[in-house]
Amino acid sequence: MPHTAIVILFLTSLALVTSLEPWFQSWQGNRAQSADLLAVLLGDARRAFANHFFIKADAYFHSGYYPSIFDNRAAFQTPHMAADAGALEEKNTGEEDDFLGPPRDWIDAFGRKFKPATHTHLDQGGAQTDASSHKEIELGESQDVREILPWLRASAALDPQKVEIYTTTAYWLRQRIGKTTEAEAFLRDGLRANPDSHEILFELGRIADEHRKDPARARNLWELALAKWQKFELQKKDPDTFSLLQIASHLALLAERESRWDECLHFLGLWKAASPKPDEIEKRITEVRQKIPAANHAKPPAPNPKP
Amino acid sequence: MVQSHFSQFGPQGCHMARSFAMPGTHRPCSPSLPRSAPLPSGGGSPLLPMTEVIQIEQLVVTYRDAETRATRTAVDRVTFTVRTGEVFGFLGPNGAGKTSTMNVLLGFTHAAGGSARIFGVDVRQPISRQRIGYLPEMTYYYKFLTAEELLRAYGRIFGLDDGEIRRRTDELLALVELEPARRRLIRTYSKGMQQRLGLAQALLNQPDLLILDEPTSGLDPLGRMKVREIILRQKAAGKTVFFSSHELGEVESVCDRVAILHRGELKALGPVAEIKRPDDGNLEQAFLRLIGWPDAPKPASGAGQADHRPTAP
Amino acid sequence: MRAVLTLAHLVILEMVRRKDIYVLFVLTALLTLIAAAANIFDDTRVVRYLKEISLTLIWVSGLVLAVTSAARQIPAEREARTLFTMLAKPVSRWQFIAGKFLGCWLACGLALLVFYAFFGAVALSRERSLDLASWAQAISMHWFMLAVPVALALAGSLLWAAPSSNSTLTLVACFGIWLLGRHLHKVALGLPEPGATLLTLVYFTIPHLELFDIRDLIIHRWPPVPWVFWLGALLYAAAYAGMILTGAWLLFRRRPLN
Repeated sequence: MPHTAIVILFLTSLALVTSLEPWFQSWQGNRAQSADLLAVLLGDARRAFANHFFIKADAYFHSGYYPSIFDNRAAFQTPHMAADAGALEEKNTGEEDDFLGPPRDWIDAFGRKFKPATHTHLDQGGAQTDASSHKEIELGESQDVREILPWLRASAALDPQKVEIYTTTAYWLRQRIGKTTEAEAFLRDGLRANPDSHEILFELGRIADEHRKDPARARNLWELALAKWQKFELQKKDPDTFSLLQIASHLALLAERESRWDECLHFLGLWKAASPKPDEIEKRITEVRQKIPAANHAKPPAPNPKP
Repeated sequence: MVQSHFSQFGPQGCHMARSFAMPGTHRPCSPSLPRSAPLPSGGGSPLLPMTEVIQIEQLVVTYRDAETRATRTAVDRVTFTVRTGEVFGFLGPNGAGKTSTMNVLLGFTHAAGGSARIFGVDVRQPISRQRIGYLPEMTYYYKFLTAEELLRAYGRIFGLDDGEIRRRTDELLALVELEPARRRLIRTYSKGMQQRLGLAQALLNQPDLLILDEPTSGLDPLGRMKVREIILRQKAAGKTVFFSSHELGEVESVCDRVAILHRGELKALGPVAEIKRPDDGNLEQAFLRLIGWPDAPKPASGAGQADHRPTAP
Repeated sequence: MRAVLTLAHLVILEMVRRKDIYVLFVLTALLTLIAAAANIFDDTRVVRYLKEISLTLIWVSGLVLAVTSAARQIPAEREARTLFTMLAKPVSRWQFIAGKFLGCWLACGLALLVFYAFFGAVALSRERSLDLASWAQAISMHWFMLAVPVALALAGSLLWAAPSSNSTLTLVACFGIWLLGRHLHKVALGLPEPGATLLTLVYFTIPHLELFDIRDLIIHRWPPVPWVFWLGALLYAAAYAGMILTGAWLLFRRRPLN
């Protein structure tokens, strides 16, 4: 008898839930703003966690040999995994091999025996780098860099607006681990969360160009990235010239490959404006001009990154 | 009275009538050093004669009141001895200092002055407890153990070998009628079963001195009878029993000597017959008189004097 | 010695029958398995994050188990009055303390064996190999490290009557040392006096539990710690545990029990 009552109660509850759920979803008093459990649980603290996991991924990139907040972080201001991926402009200074400095006391000296003590990168073998034979593992040989992915994934889940997570992850996925489809899918997730992100568009363009061998698509994506950059970055006090440099350089190189000289020169001009080494770019401009047939040898208008 | 009944068993009661024999206790009784472990060498007084099992001399025990931080004297220069083969009753109203004295004997508390020895060994040394069995008033044992496991653990602490532990465990669990429950966890035992287990653990090491803290407290008449039986058996085996109790009728019937404490002071010491005055009808009367109870009831003349002599088993 | 071993055996029996260890193990295993079920870009060979989650949970569980079990020993015996029955036997106070310590520590060791076996299985499932030397060093160093919180909690139980306050204080202290201990001297450099001196004193006084945390070496497959330093770490833990236990004995030996 009690069992029957329990079963009836359960079925009644189930029926009520299924009938009330649509009403609840449409109810204007429904205060649930997010279907993301993490966002609901953590609130704004999720951004702090996202940043922590992003740094954690870089710590993994270094196989644990990483400065704490109490150490000299001058050589780690830009995560190396992001700088190597071209996702962020590198601002690191100082000695990355010796952020700890000399041991301050015997406890410090003794404690260093129980921590990683060598600066390595995962894509070059990490802790398994054969230091004794001084053999350098070529980029791409070691796929251990996959170990940074869980932290990047967690970081993206916690802060979908952090664009560099998507670009960094996509680079390592496609370039080292050979998962181009996953990289592209991840970038599209990032684009849904950040529809105006020129960085993500640029990275999608790289996939189209380098992996899908679809230069037309790549050009479309990069031109869209440039348009987005011009629309949003120029309004800022400190526009992201590093990103402009990347977009412009790739557009210029693509145009050069396809012998679209006018466009090539236009983009080279943008590249020169954003580059820290404009003389080198000027040399390149000169080289390109030499390639242009005599009919199109007119001097290009002065580049103006502004629309 | 009790002594004369057992006088046929010799001055130290070492020769046993068969009916009093404890299982496994058929051994000659002679003064001996502690069985399993040597006495500590150096740093202590020479061994006292083995006629004095417990020696308490000018014992002072003090406590600091938790609230007022004032020092309170619980035992004030008490001196007495307990001899081999005696059944010694330790009496007094609540707060008299009985528990404090027993705590010193058992090493739970340190004396502020004076000395206490068991078998000639200072009670501050753990070896002094090698030959004693202790039954606390409230029987609390490790609930997560079985009776068998508990006795095995205690046996190991006494230094008994595994074979001896097994034998003693079987005997004692049979004696206290816990054999069917030997593998059940103690947390499933009733209060009576726990008390019987307490008796078993107190007798595990065949103690030469049994210290019982209000052994009949909370027991039904059958249980009290059992305890009395065990006390008399111990005495018949030449062992010494030291116990505190509020059951003055039982004390009068089994004890060779008693000590009465009141407010930390020893008010009386000696055989029951010597403590009682002619106008004290029973030990209870004498007790109330000694502690200065003003309204000690007087018995009706010629009536109501119970015969507290132990009946022969 | 027999008394110490008997007491230790009783402690282990109690912990096994209380099922504390099982709850923590199930929790650790469950959280690790949930983490393992995460889809990391369809790559089934990613393993280090799993090792880190597993090892972190093992560390947290180990500390919680060590502190809560040790903090409970003497107060529980006093409350249950089993303390009196035990000390009425020929057991000295030092043997009692030593037996309780040994029991808690050995029980932690047994628990660690189970936890690390699970960790080994998790690592093997994806890496197909296990560095046994590093694994053995990790277990042994973790086990010896736990001797210090056990000793601290036992000593604390003689200072604080309530096991909950003792556990909380000891856990906060241990977690604090684990996470921040190695950085205290750097923080001290930036403080004005007398804070700098005080913090430096604290730095040199506390048992540095973080020395025993070689998770990074295990996770990232670094070579094992040189064995001489491994031995030095074990001796360091033994020395600290010994000092704390001696302090506990000094507290306990003259204490009236009721």
